[in-house]
Amino acid sequence: MRLSGLLSEETIIISLSDKDKQSVIEELLELAMKTGKITNRETALKAVMDREQLMSTGLEKGVAVPHAKSSAASELTMSLGISKEGIDFESADGKPSHLFFFILAPEAAAGPNVQVLAQIARLTSDPEFCQALKSASSPMEVLEIIRDAE
Amino acid sequence: MMEGPVKKILLFVDGSEGCIAAAQYAITLSRTMGAELWALYVVNVSLLKELVKAKIFVRIEEMDYEQDLEQDGKRYLNYISELARIKGVEIKTELIKGVVNREVVERIGQWGIDLLVMGELEPVRSRTDTYHDEAELIFRKAKCSVLVVKDVDQVERIYNALESN
Repeated sequence: MRLSGLLSEETIIISLSDKDKQSVIEELLELAMKTGKITNRETALKAVMDREQLMSTGLEKGVAVPHAKSSAASELTMSLGISKEGIDFESADGKPSHLFFFILAPEAAAGPNVQVLAQIARLTSDPEFCQALKSASSPMEVLEIIRDAE
Repeated sequence: MMEGPVKKILLFVDGSEGCIAAAQYAITLSRTMGAELWALYVVNVSLLKELVKAKIFVRIEEMDYEQDLEQDGKRYLNYISELARIKGVEIKTELIKGVVNREVVERIGQWGIDLLVMGELEPVRSRTDTYHDEAELIFRKAKCSVLVVKDVDQVERIYNALESN
């Protein structure tokens, strides 16, 4: 399962405009909704926020992976947001998050969902990959970086 | 009648589109060769643990997804059992948990499998693909002959042409 196959120029933003956690998630959800695979915005948002309640998906080293499964997703859906300045996402290391991989999966797509999340974990363990994404100047460049890394 | 070269076939079920075509082909082979047929699905718990370690999953999520994957596996094995039943082929199914490639390779030895049947492999684009793709690892590590089923449409025709029970 490739991230580059789930993303497109229209589901990537290289300069997130929002500055707080809930707004960032909503901005990423809006992007993901452009795929037409999310049938109900409120249900989707609730699923992601409920997951954040368990523990923040702000990881270490500037990476966040807000995700959930929801009946509001007809297919596995993804968006990617980048903030060069960084945003407080209640991360595990207390540092600002710069890369936001948003995943919404249907209830019955555990296999592909798990594979996509594992692929994100593998790719973002490479600091050079993360730095390249942070420095990207267009969604097209982001896609090329991900394709090359995959 | 001379004994066939293949006595025990193992079908690797991973929930991919290709594994259904592989099932149809394995059922056809089992019937025409008189070979015993096994189907195996492995819940990839190592991947779930990888996600907990990466802090993407919390423990409750890990358990939730493990259940989901188990349900997926049962659904696939039931569907494949039905495909076999329609053609009058007896199939033994097994669902286990673990490191996928390791479990499959171990079962090949334990059950005395002489042919592994699996769906088409994903195209390889990098070395990390080869390292992380379970099907690729099974293909390389299996100690018996491996049949990778391609051309889904042709396989479906072959399966459909097989007289029903």
